Formats: sequence, C-alpha cells, structure tokens
Amino acid sequence: MAGKSGRTIAATRESGLKDKLFSWEGALILVLIAVNILGATLSPNYNVTNILRESPRYLAEIFMLFGMAFILVLGDIDISVGSIVCLTATVGCLVSNAGHGVGLVILACLGVGLICGMVNGFVATRFTELPTMIITLGTQIVFRGIAEVALGSGGSASMTNLQSVAPLRAKLGPLPLSFFIVLVAAVIFIIVLNKTTFGRKLYAIGSNKTTAYYTGIEVQQIRFFSFSLIGFLAGLCGLFLLASTYGANTTTGNGFEMEVIAMCVFGGIATTGGKGNIIGGFIAAFIIVCLRIAFGQINMNTQLILVIIGVMLIVSVLIPSISTAFKKPKKKTS
Amino acid sequence: MAEDLILELKGITKIFPGVKALDNVQFQLRRGEVHALMGENGAGKSTFIKTITGVHQPEEGHIYFNGQEVSFKGTKDAQELGIAAVYQHPTSYPELTVTENIFIGHEIIKSGMIQWKEMNAEAQKLLDRLHANFKVTDEVGALTIAQQQMVEIAKALSTNAQIILLDEPTAALTANESQELYRIVDELHEAGVSVIFISHRMEDMYRLAQRVTVFRDSQYIGTYDVDGITEPELIKYMVGREITDMYPKPDVKIGEPIFELKGLSRTGYFKDVSLTVHAGEIVGLTGLVGAGRTETMEAVCGITKADAGKIILEGKELNVRKPKDAMKAGIILLPEDRQKQGLIMNWGLGVNVILPIQDELSNNGFINDKKEREISKQYLEDVDTKAVSIFDPASSLSGGNQQKVVVAKALAQKNMKLVIMDEPTKGVDVGAKAEIYAIMGELAQQGYGIILVSSEMAEVLGMSDRIYVMCKGRVTGCLDVADASQEKILELAMEQSDKEVQ
Repeated sequence: MAGKSGRTIAATRESGLKDKLFSWEGALILVLIAVNILGATLSPNYNVTNILRESPRYLAEIFMLFGMAFILVLGDIDISVGSIVCLTATVGCLVSNAGHGVGLVILACLGVGLICGMVNGFVATRFTELPTMIITLGTQIVFRGIAEVALGSGGSASMTNLQSVAPLRAKLGPLPLSFFIVLVAAVIFIIVLNKTTFGRKLYAIGSNKTTAYYTGIEVQQIRFFSFSLIGFLAGLCGLFLLASTYGANTTTGNGFEMEVIAMCVFGGIATTGGKGNIIGGFIAAFIIVCLRIAFGQINMNTQLILVIIGVMLIVSVLIPSISTAFKKPKKKTS
Repeated sequence: MAEDLILELKGITKIFPGVKALDNVQFQLRRGEVHALMGENGAGKSTFIKTITGVHQPEEGHIYFNGQEVSFKGTKDAQELGIAAVYQHPTSYPELTVTENIFIGHEIIKSGMIQWKEMNAEAQKLLDRLHANFKVTDEVGALTIAQQQMVEIAKALSTNAQIILLDEPTAALTANESQELYRIVDELHEAGVSVIFISHRMEDMYRLAQRVTVFRDSQYIGTYDVDGITEPELIKYMVGREITDMYPKPDVKIGEPIFELKGLSRTGYFKDVSLTVHAGEIVGLTGLVGAGRTETMEAVCGITKADAGKIILEGKELNVRKPKDAMKAGIILLPEDRQKQGLIMNWGLGVNVILPIQDELSNNGFINDKKEREISKQYLEDVDTKAVSIFDPASSLSGGNQQKVVVAKALAQKNMKLVIMDEPTKGVDVGAKAEIYAIMGELAQQGYGIILVSSEMAEVLGMSDRIYVMCKGRVTGCLDVADASQEKILELAMEQSDKEVQ
C-alpha cells in the first residue's frame, strides 16, 4: 500500500509461567487450598467422605454458574433463576406424584426451565431498551408466583413416589452423578468460552454491543440463546434439587441467583460485561461450597456464614481496583 | 519586554509514566489576541491545555500570568485567575437549565437564598451578547452541541474569564454553526478577551487567529503570524515532512456500474434515494449534518431496515435484513464513530481486525490463533498502522491509526466489493488524513467501488469522481467533480428547505 514504511508489527507475545501464577485464577486456587486447610483445622468431620455426602445440593447450584457466566459476560444479568429452580422442582414433584416415571420428570423439569429462560430471552431481545435486571426481577416474581399457585395452600409438596428420581441419585463409586455433570459441563463451557469464535462473540457483545452488531454478530440471537441456556440449566438444578430433597416448597431456590452471581463475581467475571473467565467462577464456586460445608459442620450460624461470604465478595471485587491503582498508569496517546 | 503578555509559559515539561507528553515547550499569549494551537494528534496540545487549566501540574517549567509567576495546584487556581476552558463536547449538566449551568458553582445568593430572577436576568444578558436563540430556562440537554458550547462560553464570561480556551470547538459543528462560532469568537476578541483554540481545521485558523503556535511530538516548533504563513508550510511544521499532494487521487479507469440504489426510503429519515457507483469510482455523498446520509448508508448495510426501494449489487437485488447480509454480499461499512461502532477499544488491534472473519478462519468454530495473528498482522502492516504489536489495545492508538485499524478490518473481508466510508477522517490529524486518502485511492485502483460520506468539502472535492448531495433526506443533485464547486454543493445542500421527508 502507498506510503508503506516497512514497519513491522509484532504478532507474538511472551507469556510466562509467572503470568499464570499471578493471575486471578492462580490466587483463587491458593484461597481454595487455604479454605480446605481452615476447614480441616476447624472441624474434625471435614473430610472427603463428608464433603461428598453434603455436596449434591451445592453441585446442583453450580450447574447455573456456567449459564450465568455467559449472561454476565454478555453484560446482562438474570436474577430469576432461583424462581425457575423453584418452579421446575415444583412441576417435577407434581409430575412424579401423578405417577409418572423418571423420564417424564426429567422432561418436565428441563422443559419448564427452558421455557422460562426463553421467556426471559424473548422479552430481553424484543425490548432491548429494558435493563435485564428489571425484566428478570419481574419474571422472578412471576415464576415463583406460578410455583406458589401450583403448590397450593400448603405451600409445599412432598414426593410420594421416591422411585421416580432414584436414577438421579445414582453414584459412581463415592461420587454423585451431579458431580460428573458439573465436571463435563465445566470442560465444555470453559472450552466454548475460551477457544471458540462463539465464546469470543459473547465477549465482543459484552465489551461493545454496537461494534459487535456493526461487525455482523447476531447480538440478539446470542442473547436469546444465553437466556434460554441458563433457564435450561436452572431446570437441571431444580431437577437434582428435587432428587436430593424429595420435594419442593415456596422457599426452594431462594437466593440461588445471588449465590450464583456471587460465585461468578468472586471468580473475576465483571457484571459490566466483557470480562472474566469461567475457570475463575468454577474455582470460586468450590471455595464458597467448601466454606459453607466447613462452617456448617461446626454449626456456625447460617446468617454469619452469609456475612463472611458477603465480605469475601466485596474484598474480591475491591482487589482488582486497588491493585490497578498501584500499577503504573499506561501510556496514553491522545 | 515590549509585548503585553497576559500568559506566558516557559520550559514546560510534563512526564507521564513512560512518555514525555510535553518536552520543554513554551507559549506566549498576547492580551486580547486569538491564538491557534495546532499539531497532530498526540503532539501534546491537550496536555498543554490541561496544564494551563491546572488539570496537570508540569514537572518542570514556569507559568507567568500578567508577568507574575504562578503555579496551579488544581483547576480552581486557574479559574480564579480567569482562565476558562470550553471543550469539544461540553461537560455541562444536561438535566439542568441554561441559567443553572452558567451559574453552577457561583450562584448569586442573598441571605442564603438563590436569586433566580437575578440569575436569569444575568444569564439573559450573556446570551444576548452571544446572540443566542434559546431561552435561559431551556434544559441544556435539549440544545444542540453548538448551543451547548455557547452556554459554556457564557459560563466562562459570567466568571469574567480573561482567557478562554476552546478545544476543537468546530469539530462537532455544521458549517452554519461554525460560522456562528466564528462570530462569537470575533466578539470575544473585540471585547478584549484572549482566546486560545485548538483545531484541525485550517479554515478555522485562517478565519480567526492572529497567531499560531505549532507543536509536534511533544515539542514546541514555533509561533507564526497567520498572515505570513501558507498552508503547505504549516502542514510541514505540523507533520515534520512535506505533503506534496493531500489528495492523491490516482487515475483509475472507471468500470461497469457495480452498485445501485433505486428509490430507497425509510420513513422519517430519507426518501427516494437513488444512486449508482461504478467499479473503481469514488462517489462522494455530502450534505449538511442531518441530511440523512449516514441513515441511508446504515440501511444499505443492514444496521436499520429500509421501508421501500432496491439495493442492487452487481446486477442482483439484495435483501439486506441485518449487517451480516450486507457483509456477506460484499458491502463493507467503515462506520462514522470509530470508537463506539468500529472498534472494541479495550481489545487488541489484531482481534479487532479479524472479528468479522473469525468464523471463516476458524476450525469448525474453534479459534485458529495462528492464522488470526498472521492475517491481522498482514492487514495492519498493509495500511501502515503505527503500532508495536497486534496486542496493543485499540485505545492506545491515535485517531488516525484507529481509523487505519478500521480500514484493515474492512480489507480483511476478502469478498469486499463496495466500501462505504462514513466520515473517515473525522478527528484525524493531517498526516494520517493524507495516508487514509492514499489508501482510498488504492482501493479505487483495485477496482472497488467507494462511497465517501463526508461533511468536509475539501475532501469530497479532492477525492470524489462524482458527488451526490443530500438535503433533508433526499438526493438533491449529482455533480461531476469537474463541474463541482463548494458553492454548487452548498446550494444543493440547502435548497428546497420547504420539502421534507414524508
């Protein structure tokens, strides 16, 4: 091209082990180890067997982490997932009590979750001027409302036919089925977000929606897909929760959305979109789960556990801004 | 000293970590003069302005105000001496009224009560002085950029500013609004206010300033009388080399028509737009701001959807419903706003370039890192981007180089047939401008059709083969460049003011 100066632009960069160790994920692993040491010191019962025994309820919650990571990277948020969990568990329980087998229970739970997610996605993509916080606040109330109507005056439903969820309680050795689902899901989602062009589109949308759109990325389709996906995963969560608690009530899934968002944020995913990684969220999830199990074992007050997790969350969000304040400001050309 | 200097700066050095933003620069402002400050992007003008207004404290150097040495610890110190700045995008409070904006921070208060009547009257006086045609009770957010600038100038006057700094005041204004601004500056000049202004537009400088100071690469180059300096000389000082031909339009054999619009309309934005682009041809599309040029091109590219009309590329009618459709067909848009529409500013240059083609480069959806690096490196070098690495964030480049990245992003789309460049040199300094024109010329040579959407008359006249003029959503004329002149274009751009888009 004209006026070409023969300037070359570097296309490689050095990234050493040092960068990896000092990354956010590296720090989280250290915290995870510290939490486990703390747990082992505090509680004599803090061992692998007991952790595994208590884990299913938490593992179910982690399903949603992956979908939430997508949603947050996009720059959106979904606070209705706790209600979707409640609704799917309720529907699943009623289907089971009606005498249907495991297949139909699974289908009902996943189907209801998917539909709920699609409703969120539809509203979010049709009315793009509405903040998704408000949309999902609305559907949060609607979905739980429907569940409460279905649950009737008692406000709870218990499973009469425990056999219908038995396959979901299956174990491979000491490990529950949900553990494997989480593991497989983690691998898939980490690859999708980091290694595929689809994952990069999510980051592009979260970083600059307008540029993404001008660049030919199907912004609204991808948002619709992601909302549907997290709905589906909430359904999966509801299904496994039902299988581990044998019932549903009006408080099922309460606060799950905030816990899942907390895991993501603690893991370094910015709620402003375009930043963060599932790996971080995944490690953060285990930190929170281990903490809860450890503190639960020494009979610490649940509210106090929440206070501790809340403080950790705030500190984790503060650390990056504190560390950038100390770093040298970057060269600016204006 | 014989000269009556209101402000003098000597040996100013300002260091940001890793970069010397100002290197031993000097500046002298005579009382009551209008003084232009020119230089390429990154030459240090903005840092210098911020030194005068007390935003930055220089590491070295002296500032004299009316012969007395002063030091600014913050913006307040500068304000107290009567130094006020008006920025390109006014930093006012859009929800507040004109009066509130003018008097914010120095309201007229008597026995603890804000004196609204008195303030409104004072504000009205200031607006009268500027011949403003809006009310003191208007919300600032509802005003045009030009009017908002007026509010800022009124605010400066209300504090009895003796020195007013204008940072690229005309960049966001239409031709008419610029004339209005010139008048205001003239009035300030007559009233004895000293004015420093930054602008990339030569015409601003020739029209307004008595003297001009040039910065280049953070250094002071010189101060010249405007009457005694020619445009090529000034460009040479700014760029550091001679630009022999600002508009290097190559001789291209114009080919077959490749692109056609027939009666394209979108209610409320543009109506019945028809135009033709031939292979190798640069077609200028001009008009006043708000004439519907960008809106038309956005419909062509699927950003919005036209209600009626045909988009024809290489004889085939396209059904453009979304941006991807246009891109697949080979219509590539370089959007007007690089930072908001063209690039992801905190991403590396390389990823920005390959973002539209990442799917084609991928292995069944998996990112092909190696290929991406090679290709982005190649296209970034092709347009001669001034960058160290493809991992440099786009935000670290100057406006001109950002534009080159946008061009590289377009070029990387191999099936490109028609390029639509919307204000490609807006906010770009003169050196990079010439390079962008050179690229444009080469694209024409390679047989692409080019639509150049621009408000800058000189560039439209300098680069186009034919020029379409739009006014109020309609094409009002098409001129061959040989017959075109600024007057003819303006006539077409402003005619039939009574007809509007239905």
